[in-house]
Amino acid sequence: MTAKRKLNYAYYPGCSLHASANEYDLSTRALFDALNIGLQEIPDWFCCGATPAHNVDELLSLSLCAKNIDMAEKVAPEMAVACASCFSRMKFTHHILSKNETKRRQVEKAIDAPVTLSGDVKHILDILARDFGLKQLAKAVKKPLQGLKVACYYGCLLTRPPEVPKLDDCEAPTIMEDLLHTAGAETVQWTHRMECCGANFTLSRPAVVIQLTNAILESARAAGADCIMVGCPLCHGNLDIRQEEIENKHRTSYRLPVLYITQLLGLAAGLPAEKLGLDSQMVDPRPLLKSKGLI
Amino acid sequence: MKKKKMVLSSKTMDVDFVRKVEELSGTSVRRCFQCGKCSAGCPMATFMEHPPNRIVRLLQLGQWQRILAGRSIWYCVSCETCSTRCPNKVDLAAIMDALRKLSWDQNGPSKESYVQLANRLFLENIRSYGRQYEMRLAAVFNVKSGQFLKDMMLGPKLFSKGKLKVFHQTNRNIAEIDRIFQRIEQMRKNGEAQ
Repeated sequence: MTAKRKLNYAYYPGCSLHASANEYDLSTRALFDALNIGLQEIPDWFCCGATPAHNVDELLSLSLCAKNIDMAEKVAPEMAVACASCFSRMKFTHHILSKNETKRRQVEKAIDAPVTLSGDVKHILDILARDFGLKQLAKAVKKPLQGLKVACYYGCLLTRPPEVPKLDDCEAPTIMEDLLHTAGAETVQWTHRMECCGANFTLSRPAVVIQLTNAILESARAAGADCIMVGCPLCHGNLDIRQEEIENKHRTSYRLPVLYITQLLGLAAGLPAEKLGLDSQMVDPRPLLKSKGLI
Repeated sequence: MKKKKMVLSSKTMDVDFVRKVEELSGTSVRRCFQCGKCSAGCPMATFMEHPPNRIVRLLQLGQWQRILAGRSIWYCVSCETCSTRCPNKVDLAAIMDALRKLSWDQNGPSKESYVQLANRLFLENIRSYGRQYEMRLAAVFNVKSGQFLKDMMLGPKLFSKGKLKVFHQTNRNIAEIDRIFQRIEQMRKNGEAQ
């Protein structure tokens, strides 16, 4: 059954997904393949500039993104982005260049190409919940995530500021919960779902990250969550890779697995653990998933 | 610590600089009525000597030197909470970007060197490799910041999980990326861009 795929996207993984967040890339490809959604990686895409570029050089940030958007439009009309930070930068570029003619002309000169902005940029959450749709997703669930209590962590850039990403409500989003309920999981109510993890301060000032993420982990634990779900490699790195350090610093033990949305939905779609990179996590989620009979 | 008294006069209030910030950020500092919601929601306010609402107040009073001399603007993590919650639509996150750009371009006086070093290395990596080369970024940061043992224990664990790539990714667009940097530099020299 190789019917023509109805949904097709130009895939922009972002730098982290090819290195420290390899399991996000792996599980995204596996899940989209299982759902028969087409993902075609943009050939030779490059860094969006992330926070360091827009922090000190807006024109550079806009130009790097605009060139990537231009390359994506040659692959497919819509661009699928997995990283929340890349997603935010691409959306900002669309937002700023569509209303500011001066900046648009400057960017066109910098990339030596017209900026058409004819395509759209979508986060994979949006694609799964709206383009593919919850109804179809419900049909694709082969192994409901029964008994798993998940704390959905949105962080900053998926929803803020309200006029840019337009993914969901900026203070009380439900898109992650909607997807997980469809997959049969429980979600917990908790206080820190929209708080910042410290993002790229993990390189320059890790002590800041450790203080912020400790509060997030504490809140998730207090709400009775078995694990945390994220849609951003920076959030994941700060909560998962740094978790042992956070525990040592604050003399506590969380051992809270941090999973990507695509890993959990992949499990629900019946994909095997090795296709979802569950062995790549620093806090091993497999004992938890085994105890719930999910792997 | 005794605080330096602030004297307000046409001599001490530099409004030109503030206009530049407003122009770059596309937002007006005069709209702020100091409700403090930005600082209440700011995850980094406890690390700053001037929390976000006070930064706007200092701008209203033309006291930008006090802002740039401190660490506050470099401790903003761009989470967009302030801009999201401002009742007067002051885009504080954009103001922070504008302040950082103005400070960065003049090699400003802030002592917050770690964040600026990380930014510089990050941008250099884009120009040299096209994509972030995380291992090099961390290694060079450690050497240049003199923290040779920082995150040393994480290295082998990340490596064993396949999260640390020893070699950088190749990119056929590398020449084009360099041209983008060059064109922007040229535009700035010609006064066509800020």
